Amino acid sequence: MSQDKRFSDEFLNAFVDNQLAAEEKSQAFVEIGQDEALNRQVCELRKLHDLVQLAYSEPPAAPARAVGLNSRQARLRFGVAASVLLTLGIVLGSQIRMPATTPSVTAVPAAEIQQVARIASPTKPIQPKAAALADVADRVASQQTATAIPAAETTAVPVPVIARDAIPDNTTTKVLIHLARDDADQLSQALDDIESTLKHYRETRQSAHVEVVVNGKGLELVRIDTSAFAGRIQRLQREYDNLTFAACQNTIDRLAREQGIVVRLLPGVITIDSGMAEIMRRQNQGWTYLQV
Amino acid sequence: MDFLDFFYIRSREARHALEQARARLYRVAYAWCHNAALADDLVQETLTKALRKSAQLRDPKARDAWLFTILANCYRDHFRKTREMDDIDEIEISHETTPESESSRTEIVGLVRATIARLPQGQRQVVTLVDLEGFSYVEVSQILEVPIGTVMSRLCRARNAMKAMLLPAMQQNPDMNRVIRRIK
Repeated sequence: MSQDKRFSDEFLNAFVDNQLAAEEKSQAFVEIGQDEALNRQVCELRKLHDLVQLAYSEPPAAPARAVGLNSRQARLRFGVAASVLLTLGIVLGSQIRMPATTPSVTAVPAAEIQQVARIASPTKPIQPKAAALADVADRVASQQTATAIPAAETTAVPVPVIARDAIPDNTTTKVLIHLARDDADQLSQALDDIESTLKHYRETRQSAHVEVVVNGKGLELVRIDTSAFAGRIQRLQREYDNLTFAACQNTIDRLAREQGIVVRLLPGVITIDSGMAEIMRRQNQGWTYLQV
Repeated sequence: MDFLDFFYIRSREARHALEQARARLYRVAYAWCHNAALADDLVQETLTKALRKSAQLRDPKARDAWLFTILANCYRDHFRKTREMDDIDEIEISHETTPESESSRTEIVGLVRATIARLPQGQRQVVTLVDLEGFSYVEVSQILEVPIGTVMSRLCRARNAMKAMLLPAMQQNPDMNRVIRRIK
């Protein structure tokens, strides 16, 4: 192999740039050292390498950059700022809408009964029966319920004031949740959902009320002797005054009549004349109906 | 708005490494285009892209090659926008735009820069990546997305051209050689 071919320009460049394998390089060292012309070529290449480094060792300073004009960054930051403002606007807007300014224009008798109940309540908590009575007084189909509530009378635990009919008219969100089954998993899931819903409304400072209507087998959820979630229901009621548990009186009556069960409800659970009637009434009033 | 940066860069180390790379990127970008403002823009764009795609960098050791790949892409994109039909390898920067006049430092620096500026773009990129950043031929071939044989031939042609232009000029002016000797 001739020397010219072995030491092509590419080879010499690779030698100068330290790109040869160790063996090749050591061999090239020997041969280049013996050949003056090759030696000079290598020197020139090294010189060029050094010249390039020298030429750009201190490049001219970049012109001053205007801060904030980088289009992409600016767009991104503008977008983030805009979305923060939008969110702020929505939150403030919903807060401004919340305060109760509109007086109630609903049926007067109900309001009067409420007042009576409230006056009586601070010292002596009303019983579920009393609450139920107050509740149904202004309703058409209330006679049957108002007269025969043996089960509710047996509830010995005092019940805190129920804000059932004290729901402000300007409450923006009204949700009625219907429980008619006794599946523990489903009930647990339902309570999870109820809690997360209430939590959400509280966090977003929305005015809302959730009423849980239990009838049929769902009644077991609110019976002292059968409820698997008694503690949880009481805790929820303590935490959220905008949550109501309402038991269907028809179901209570049926249990007493057919199975001889005297139903004792959990404290704080009110009774209503009929679960189905309640659902229809609430829907007519614009409540959102959810069945579990 | 620094919290935004937190989302782009997971670790401080990566961020620090990018800041360190800025000067080197700028030096190479300037050697490619010989325009301080354009070089700064290219580096800015490179770093922005690097920040955005920092998650893609799996091996921190490959960071340098990765950054210079982004720079090469930005540079290519820039010329795609500004020049429509010319083959990028065949472009010779005209004398009017050489930095000879801009350089207020030494004559030799101006001369070398002018020589490099006159090289075709592909050759200029190869010679600066090898000589300024010390990248291996394999890395340069990855950065510029050309075969390694092309890297070697471009480097060879570039150095031959530089030799032809620079060395006679330096021999004519013995002062220049003295400058070089002193530096060495």
